[in-house]
Amino acid sequence: MKNSKKLFIQVEVVLGLTILVLAVLMLREKSREDLCKVSVILRDSDDSQWSAFRYGLKMAAEDTGVSVFVVSTGNFLNLEEEMEYVNQEIDKGADAVIMQPLPGTEGEELLKRAEKKVPLMFVEHGLSLKGETDSIPVTKPDNYAMGKALGEELLKDYSGNISGKRVGILGDIDEMEATRSRREGLLEVLNGTDATICWSAFGSFEKNQENSLEKQPTVDIIISLDDSSLKMAGECGRANNLHGALVYGIGNSTESAYYLDIGIVRCLVVPDEFSVGYESLREVAQKIGHWYCDMKDQVVSYHIIRREDLFSKENQDILFTMSQ
Amino acid sequence: MNHNLLGDVNALKPRGMQSTIMIAFSVISISIMLILGVVLYLRFSAVSRQEMIDSSQKLMEQTGENLEDYLMGMRQISDAVYYNVVKERDFDSQDAQILQGMNLLYEANKNSLRSIAIYNNYGSLMAAEPVALQKEDPNVTRQDWFKQAVGKMENMHFSTPHIQNLFEDDARRYHWVISLSRVVELTDKGVPMSGVLLVDMDYSSISRMMNQINTSNNGQYYYLCDGNGQIIYHMRQVQISKGIAHENSEAAAKWKDGVYDEFFEGEHRKIIVNTISYTGWKLVGVIPYSAFTHGMFNIRYFIVMLMLFMGMMLAVVNRLVSLRISRPILKLNQSVTEYEAGEKPEIYIGGSLEITHLGYSIQRSYEQIDTLMRKIVLEQNERRKSELDALQSQINPHFLYNALDSIIWMVEGERNDDAVFMISELAKLFRISLSKGRTVISVKDELQHAKSYMNIQKIRYKNAFTITFDVEPEIYSCCIVKLVLQPILENAINYGVDAMDDCGEIVVEGKKVDGNIILSVKDNGVGMSKEEVSLLLKDSNRVKKHGSGVGLVNVNNRIRIFFGEEYGLIVESEPDEGTKVSILIPAVPYTEENSRVLEKGHLFGGEIKEEHEEQ
Repeated sequence: MKNSKKLFIQVEVVLGLTILVLAVLMLREKSREDLCKVSVILRDSDDSQWSAFRYGLKMAAEDTGVSVFVVSTGNFLNLEEEMEYVNQEIDKGADAVIMQPLPGTEGEELLKRAEKKVPLMFVEHGLSLKGETDSIPVTKPDNYAMGKALGEELLKDYSGNISGKRVGILGDIDEMEATRSRREGLLEVLNGTDATICWSAFGSFEKNQENSLEKQPTVDIIISLDDSSLKMAGECGRANNLHGALVYGIGNSTESAYYLDIGIVRCLVVPDEFSVGYESLREVAQKIGHWYCDMKDQVVSYHIIRREDLFSKENQDILFTMSQ
Repeated sequence: MNHNLLGDVNALKPRGMQSTIMIAFSVISISIMLILGVVLYLRFSAVSRQEMIDSSQKLMEQTGENLEDYLMGMRQISDAVYYNVVKERDFDSQDAQILQGMNLLYEANKNSLRSIAIYNNYGSLMAAEPVALQKEDPNVTRQDWFKQAVGKMENMHFSTPHIQNLFEDDARRYHWVISLSRVVELTDKGVPMSGVLLVDMDYSSISRMMNQINTSNNGQYYYLCDGNGQIIYHMRQVQISKGIAHENSEAAAKWKDGVYDEFFEGEHRKIIVNTISYTGWKLVGVIPYSAFTHGMFNIRYFIVMLMLFMGMMLAVVNRLVSLRISRPILKLNQSVTEYEAGEKPEIYIGGSLEITHLGYSIQRSYEQIDTLMRKIVLEQNERRKSELDALQSQINPHFLYNALDSIIWMVEGERNDDAVFMISELAKLFRISLSKGRTVISVKDELQHAKSYMNIQKIRYKNAFTITFDVEPEIYSCCIVKLVLQPILENAINYGVDAMDDCGEIVVEGKKVDGNIILSVKDNGVGMSKEEVSLLLKDSNRVKKHGSGVGLVNVNNRIRIFFGEEYGLIVESEPDEGTKVSILIPAVPYTEENSRVLEKGHLFGGEIKEEHEEQ
């Protein structure tokens, strides 16, 4: 009699506990269904150069079930300014932050602190100053290879002989790792030639009018190492202000493609920005909620596009992502 | 090993009736619940799957109709441009009318149109709406839509989505279009020639339609491909072109309209195919099997919780039911167990009719057993009493013979006073011996009986010994079994003082000690060894040397029968010093009631004991 009562109580207790455990699991499952939020901080985020990147983010968000918020930013210039955006987003409840790091030393400490709170992912390039932030993963195109490819395409057009040619180089902020790598790649090719590099202009051209292309000495070849400077060169070319200079560049906007289409740009190297957006978010989404997962560096491909094959099937797909 | 296993299984076997009923009920009810749950779940899943497929089919039919309407609209625009605007008109002299007609059509449909253009067979632009600057060298004749139109002149051709590469856009944008191209007859400067009419549809119109149906987040999606499996719309179009994702569109393009099962990239999927008229395009719906169970994880948790809760409730109900069924039987069993343990509870009578009947039967059985037991005990007592009576009666002939022999001897010697004394003592002796047939008498009577006996014996032994009675008067009124002193005195005479010449002494003492009466007969005779003493009360078959033959064993037995095992004779003796035989009995007041109870034997002594305690 007593055994029977004991067994009965044991069975009831076990069943009751199981129901409790299931209820807890069900509630946890429900809370997990709430979308994770990932904030993306890019310099001049509304610019057309980010179209493919944003489309990549959107596709990855659909595939992984996270919610992405691209912070609307201006043309800020350094890491300290950028960290304000990062902290704001973390305070607003972002589960992870994808950011394009800008050069600066004072922001590194903040970056380390932010990394302890939420996963961080760099896109486009890493920090120019190697330090303790090396642990933050980067999804980027092979900037060095792109610069090198651009130089090689230039040599192809001149059958490897550009001796005596005057070259001007345009690029984004010089301290940025992307600019530096691209330039190093390019110079590796050009240093083996007799071409003269007349000038190199870097930074934000809009703010620093003295740096504008029109004020630079006339050259035979202009090489743009980023989309903004390529667009600026294209615009100058369209206004016939390049004095016959041929433009080669790295770009990832429809405007850049347009300048290639109308013949101002001779060769366009296009980083696969869709993949940068897609892969970075996918990596971050895997990390969120899985502390044991480590995020890895990702290197995406790039494409070399000439005017004559701009509308090939493959390049139309690239244009499709840039047109979104 | 097997033995151990069997042992474990046996250990699990329920032993109690309630446990058996409860476990049986629980197993049956939980099994039924599980089977019912699984069957309902399977049925519900099948119905829900079919409903999902049906609703997808309906949605696809609706979307297919919308697409067909849209494409039909484009065809009608193409027809209108050709038959109402271009045909029968000369591009040289009537270009304004042609442009006006094209403009009207464009304006009416510009939400879904990107452009209308007419090229001659060399690829030169004849007219276009909206008016825009043509690119420097668009190389029209090498574009797919132109080649398709010229390749099959009698048909209208829908291209796959592509970037329009015809006109310059000041906004530096590239537009995705689907081209509807056909060969038309043109007239320029009076010369008829063939050309190609191009209607570029805005891809966003189609993608908008497709986006509207691709809102599900359970993995289900729809895509559009042409007859060769070339993707026209797919929500993961870029991922597919980059090889990140894959789609089995080539296989789907070959299937006729219907629902198919497919195993693609490690996943089972339902494929619904719907063909779009005029184009040969296929609208394909993909439902991965995981979509059927999407969102059901919580439902599964809920169902399991519900089942466990039902299990808990069932356990409670089963316990109550099993308690209700087994309680009367358990109560009956409990009362029987207590009865067997020696208690005398009322046998439980209650519960269902059968158990009540069983209770009655058991109760009757026990009552009968009780009655029979009492009867047996009574019969046993009676039998033993008869045996004792027979033993007592053995005194009389021998003693009577001696006494009468002494009287004869006195009469012959003319000792008439002595003879009278002898006869009167003999009369007292027999009166007390008879005691109206009672076995239990007062101590006073027993002492009187002993005195009479000793007086007779003293005459017979010519006063060869002395007898002294030293008895406390307070025990006179207590109960004693009659004729217990006489055999002891007889033994004292025969074994103690007979051999002594005129110096034998017998002392009878009586006193009350701790609620008991001790009557002792002490002699100063030859005494006995310890071995003889130890055999005295055990060996009833010893050969008697003297006396009536009623030994101490019988006296001891009689006392124990009437007063209990703890009472009887105590024999103390030392060789050459004498023997002391003590009678130990409880001090029970001699009343009619006590006498009557004692007569029945010590088994019914409980009643006396109570009275004794009251005393």
